[in-house]
Order: sequence, then structure tokens, then C-alpha cells
Amino acid sequence: MSLEPAGLESAADSAAPKPRAKRRTTRRRVLIGAASGTGLLVVGAAIALNLRRPRLAQVIQERGTGEQTSPAPQVWFELTGNAITLFVPKVEMGQGVHTAYAQIALEELALAPDQLAVRQANTARGFDGGTLFTFGSSSVSAMFTPLRTAAATVQQMLTREAAAQLGVPQDQLVAADGRFTVSGTDRSRAFTEVVAAKSGPWEAPAEPPELKPSSAFTRIGRDLTRVDMRDKLTGTAVYGYDARVDGMRYGAVARPPRFGATLRAGRGPSTADVVTVIDVQAGFAGVVAATRTKARAALAALEVEWEGGTTAGSAEVDAMLTADRGAVLRREGNLPRAMSAPGAVLVEASYRTPLAAHGHLEPMAALVAVTPDAPGAAPGSGRIEAWVPTQAPDTVVSALRELLGEEREIVLHPTLLGGSFGRKGSQDTAIDAARLSAAAGVPVHVGWTREEDLQHGIYRPPTHTRLRGTVDPDGRLRGVEQHSASGDIIWSVTSLPEPVRDILGFDPGTLLGQFLPYRLDAYRVVNQREQLPIPSGPWRGLGLLPNTFALESFVDELAAAAGRDPLELRLANLPDTDDGRRLANVLRRAADVAGWGTPLAAGRGRGVACSLDLGTAVAQVVEVSVEQGRAKVHRVVAAVDPGLVVHPAGAALQAQGSIVMGLSSTLLEKLTMRDGAVVESNFDTYPILTMADTPPIEVVFVASDGIPRGMGEPVIGPVAAAVANAVFTATGERLRDLPLRPSNP
Amino acid sequence: MKLMVKGRPAEVIHPEEPLVWVLRDELGLIGTRYGCGIGVCGCCTVLADGEPVRSCQVSAAEMAGRQLTTLEGLTPPEGSDDELHPVQQAFLENPLQCGWCLPGHVLTAAALVEREPDPTAEQVEESAGRNLCRCGGYNSIRKNVLRAAEIARDRR
Repeated sequence: MSLEPAGLESAADSAAPKPRAKRRTTRRRVLIGAASGTGLLVVGAAIALNLRRPRLAQVIQERGTGEQTSPAPQVWFELTGNAITLFVPKVEMGQGVHTAYAQIALEELALAPDQLAVRQANTARGFDGGTLFTFGSSSVSAMFTPLRTAAATVQQMLTREAAAQLGVPQDQLVAADGRFTVSGTDRSRAFTEVVAAKSGPWEAPAEPPELKPSSAFTRIGRDLTRVDMRDKLTGTAVYGYDARVDGMRYGAVARPPRFGATLRAGRGPSTADVVTVIDVQAGFAGVVAATRTKARAALAALEVEWEGGTTAGSAEVDAMLTADRGAVLRREGNLPRAMSAPGAVLVEASYRTPLAAHGHLEPMAALVAVTPDAPGAAPGSGRIEAWVPTQAPDTVVSALRELLGEEREIVLHPTLLGGSFGRKGSQDTAIDAARLSAAAGVPVHVGWTREEDLQHGIYRPPTHTRLRGTVDPDGRLRGVEQHSASGDIIWSVTSLPEPVRDILGFDPGTLLGQFLPYRLDAYRVVNQREQLPIPSGPWRGLGLLPNTFALESFVDELAAAAGRDPLELRLANLPDTDDGRRLANVLRRAADVAGWGTPLAAGRGRGVACSLDLGTAVAQVVEVSVEQGRAKVHRVVAAVDPGLVVHPAGAALQAQGSIVMGLSSTLLEKLTMRDGAVVESNFDTYPILTMADTPPIEVVFVASDGIPRGMGEPVIGPVAAAVANAVFTATGERLRDLPLRPSNP
Repeated sequence: MKLMVKGRPAEVIHPEEPLVWVLRDELGLIGTRYGCGIGVCGCCTVLADGEPVRSCQVSAAEMAGRQLTTLEGLTPPEGSDDELHPVQQAFLENPLQCGWCLPGHVLTAAALVEREPDPTAEQVEESAGRNLCRCGGYNSIRKNVLRAAEIARDRR
């Protein structure tokens, strides 16, 4: 059986993995591959997991994904006599990371964009899984300097070698478009020719390469054609659902009728056409057949009995989620005094956000090929090769080892992801496919139906937030008491022991957007972690959208109570700190572009909201009317300060996409629980935002300094609050639950 | 049975199955994408005799005798020097993100531009608005359909 994937390019196909022993590490942690007789040049740089979510970082460390700086090479350039290749150690799920990395590399490498081949790294090339883990909008911010350092090192080594080959001093060489030219002559040599003609080992430069100052950038901050788009437009791009291999068959897996239900018994025939796999102890029942349709038919014919599980409905889940106790996250100032400040107005409000799905358009999928044990070989020794659309390749590998044997050789190819938004950090589909492949002895692809995807998700958990606050009649904020409650986000995807989580008392994912950025005399924040009987986990921005909806709606309520303009109240109460100034700056910019304060058509209202997440400050002004009980959004203006913008067009798409997804949550999305299961089953009953409901969206970037920060998630923060605030302006009705359901006007 | 795809007959083993799976799994034409299976999302759109069809809603057998075009078969007009179809060119210039919905949007737009060389904004909404894009590229899609029509006109 051949395991060569049909139409699936992988890094391992082009060159054999190089043994680790031949690499050496310089003090600067730039790694050079040994040349061993060929001209091959391989340069990598180790990166620090430079996470801007300290608690998340801590959790990830505890999960054992590696040291802060891994000794393994993490980003690689490979130069041969034919090609110059960048292997990207992050997965591409639409966020544009392959393009952004190419762009950063091209800043230091004198190549034309089409001279740099960009390929997905996989676990066969020495990329440790921890680096491949793609999360938290951190790919560009974490790799910005290490990648430039590696690229500059390559350039420096090539220059030195070219000078030697051409017999001139280095300063007489001009490098451009992949070619060195001797100044004032027509003597030249291509980079690839330099590599091909190299004899003996490459050596790292003695001095660290000097990086270009930002004033000299010619690539960063400008646009570059997306490196993934041509394949996506011609049908050659391979996503997880597309992965194919010779001899593969299709699997389908029984799902419990209620969350938490366990398999009691299962029966089904195995025939010439269908392999039935039942493992009651593992709670697994599935089938393998020649086509997906036949697999589904065989699955429907299985007799499976389930027991236990939750019978909760939405009302019971909401009742479980009551923000009135929990871990104190912040306690500043004298709260009783601030809450009873003379003359101050007291406002109380309570907000809810619902259970919601990710709705990535490529449903969950995986292809796993477990090679049957060779005759006479130790049981469980067959190699595993897997093609998985995953944000977390390392956890998939660990899960496969745990399932099928710690000693197995495993090669995991991260495929393209057709959207993820946090959902594809799980291992469920790869485990499905691995169980079936191991039992059936053939490669098995499991591709979920939309119904499975929607009803067996790891959802955005519901939240409840109660707020009490005081404001002076002149608009000065005095005290805020905040109780928030959420289902699990991070805890559901970590293996920390329950007692540790209990002691901490809150889920770190809820910290995103959890705190008001304004000056307050007193501020108390209490967060309740609620273990709901529903699987919940990371969703774009984690707690950011639910928390910002509550907090920025509440600030609007305080402004209304004081009779102040909501924009002015925000600006007046932001502190004179770096964060405060950056927020004020984007607020002013968004207001300016949106024409804050200028007259609007009858029935329309403007709303404003802001947030600061992962170092990126965002403000949005939206224009809304209410028609037939629905909020209609006519315009969105977003001002975004992510520090440095590497790829403006890509960053703009991330911002547009965050706003559209945020509007979808604001206006439409809510999953209903009944008898322990999700009621909605597909996009007919769980509609997501369509073109018809998508307004013109203007995104303005405010580049504040030279440090790139998160772009994939932060812009989703203010959307819901800005729309709710605009509904209030338009109609006088304050809506405190998502999705927003205005009364008929 | 035989399906006519890319102008050539292709032998099909499971004609009773939904076209989307026959194209993808039997014929390896992965540029036709499954998204919902109920005809809502539009990811599986292919062209049958030039008209958009949701390939999750028809069996392969029902498409007997029709000329099918998938993303793989979308090519510039015969004899043209251009590498890409005008719609592909427009989406290359102004891309979407994850691209799972892209084949449906591209083929839907190709059909519109073929039928309406100078489509109005309303026609774009009516046509492209039937397909979902979770990455939120709707404003790009609006722009790209009009741009594709412009490229097609320029090439004539």
C-alpha cells in the first residue's frame, strides 16, 4: 500500500529529514544544517514562545509543550541548487500566516517574492509540535524577530560565499532578485548557483546579522500577493477534508444523543463492504466503508445504546450560570465609599451571552493511516501518518501515541484549515480516524457532517455578567463592582488536574477583555468558573467578545445615567498610560471617520465601543436602525492599533472578518439546549451572517510603534457592545442579551 | 454511468450518490467543497451547462448528459493568453481568507459574469448573496464580482 498522498504536497516529500545530530547551535540560537558534501544550506532560528497571555503561557508550559525556548529548530530556510524554500512552522487557517512569514523573510532576503517557495512545515522535519501550535493571534508577534534573524543570516552567509566564489570583496556585491552582481560589471551569480557551487560546510557568521531598521523596510508594511491564493483558486489547495491517499476508505462514528452519555452496548455486522468497530470501554462505535454515503448508511444501521449524560435544557444551563460568587480577580480602592459617593448615580445591569458555535465552513476532518504491524514485529509498532486540519499538531501527535502506542513513529502533516476560530485545536476527529484505521487496517478519512459539527462541538460557553457602578453627574466614573461567570474555555483543552483548577477558581480564557480600562476610584472583579455539562472551549478571542459586550454596554449605561456623550465619557475616563492613550487614539480616529456627532437619517443611531486585547487597541463606531424587530447595521468603522502592520491587506481582512463574525454573534447566533443536546442542526436553523446583512466596513489602521501585535482576534472585541449601544441611541431600548432581539419599534 | 466534467467523460461507480461526493471522493476533484449538505452554504456549487447547481442536492445520475464545470475546469476562454479566468484573477488580486467557500463564490460569479457582462450591484447581491463566507469576506466578494466583470470586458 502506498502512502503517498494524491495531490498532497508535504515538506517530507522534497527532502529526507536531516539528522538532528548534524546541526549545531550558535550562541544566538541560529542553527545551521551541515552541508555534508552537497551545497545544501539550511538555516533555522529557535524562537521563544513570546506569549502575551501570561497565564495561558503558564498553562501551556504546564501542559508540557516545551521549554520557553525550544532547542529544536523552529523556522527553516532550505537552499538548494534549485530552490529557496521557507518552511512555515505555523498552520494556515485563512489568517494569512504563510504570506506574513514570507513577507517578513523577504525583508532580509534579496529575493523577488516568486523566488521564495513557501511550504507548510510538518512534524517530520524537526519541527516540534509546540511551535506548530497556532493560537492566540501570536504567530506574527512571536516570530517577527526570530524569522528576520534567520533570513538575515541566510543572506549574510550567501553574500560571503558569493564574494569568495566571484573573487571580490563582499562590499562590491549587489544583491537583488535572487542574484549577486559585481558592482559596475555584468558578472553575476544566482543565489541557487552559489549554493550549488559551494564546497565544504557552511559556517555561521561570527557576528549576529544586523537587521534592517524599520525606516528601511521595503516589504513589511506593504502588500504582497497571498502565497496560498493561487492554489485555492485553481482547486489544488489541500484541506483536511480533501486529504487523499491510495487505498483509503471512509469512516463514520456514532455520537451520543446527550452530552456526557456513555456507550452501553453496540452491535453491527462486519461484511465484505463494511468494517464495524465497537469498543464499549472506549465509548466508541464506528464503521468503515467504501464511500462516505455507504459509511453513513452502515452507521445508521448500527444498534447502539447509550446511558447517562445530561438532560439539561437552555433554561437549566442559564440557571447554573449565575454570577454571584467566585475568585476575586481584582480588588482596588474603597468600594463601599466609591459606590456611595455623594451625588453619584448608581447603575445596575446584568448581561448574558449564549452558547455559540464556531461555524467554520470546512467541517471537522482527518485522514489517518495506521500501518499494520509487520509480520513478526512487536505489536503496535506500525508507523502512523496523519493529515489533519489542526491548530495543535503536538496534541494530535500525543493523542495518537496515547491511543495506539508511545513508541510509534508518527508523521503528522498539518493541512490547510477551512476556518477554525479555535475549534480545530481538538483531537477528536484524528482519534476517530485512528481508531478506525487501526481496526480496519487501511487509511481512513473521517469527515464530519455539518450536523455532527454543529451538535458535537466544543462551543463558546455562555456567560453571565452583573455590574454595579457609580458615575458623577459630570461623567467621572467612581466605582464598579463586577461579577462574571462563564463555562470553561482553557480548562477544557488542558490536562491540568481538577484540584489545581479548583484552587485557581477561574478559567484563564475568561480574562480576555475581563477588565475595564478606565480610571476608577474602586474596582472589584469576581469571576465564577462554572462547570457546565456542555463541552466548551476556545472561540475567537476567548472571553473577549462576551466580556466586552457587558463592560462596554455598561459604560454606555453609565454615560446615559450621567447624561454624557458616550464617546466623551470614555475619553475623559481613560488613564494617561500607554494603554489609555492608545485606546483614546483609536476612539478619536474611529469617531472622526464615522462622523460622530453629525446628523443621521431618522431612526438611526450610532454606538461606540472599544477594547484592548493582546496589545491591540480597537475602537468601533456603528450605525444602526431597528426594522421589524431586528437591528440592521448600516455601517461599521473600526480604528485598529496593532503596533506595526506587517501585511496591510491581510490585516484588513482579519479585521473585516472579525467584525462580520462579531456581527453574526450580535445579531443571530444562539444554540439551544434541549434534553441534554443541541437543538440546531445546520445553517438553516443556526443561521450565520450573510452578505445581505453585511454592511460596508471601513478599517483604519493606526500604526503606533514598531512592534507587531495580535490581529486575528482583538478586532472582534467591541462589535456587540457597539451595536447594542447604537440600538439604544436609535430606539432608547437597552438590550443586554445576545443575540440582540429588539422589541418591535 | 459517465459524467461530463471538464469536457471529458468520467466513469462513475456510484451514480446514485450525491454529486459532491462523487466529484470529490471518486474523481478527486477536491475543488468542490462540502459545507452543509442541505443546499444553504453554497460551498459545493458547480456549474451544470453553465448554471450554478448545489452538488450536495443532486445525485451524479441526475447530471447525466450535462456539461459540468468545477473549479479545476474553470479556465480562460479558448485561445486566450491569460492564465486565469477573470473571476480567478479578481479573487487573486483581492483574496479571501481560508478559501473553503471560494469555489462556490468563484463559480457563481463566473456564471453571473457570463450571463451579465455588466452586472448591477443588485444582481451581485442576488447571486453572490446566496453563498456563505464565515471568514467574513462579503465586502471583498462584492467588489471582486464587479471587478471580474470588468476584467472579462477588458479582455474582449
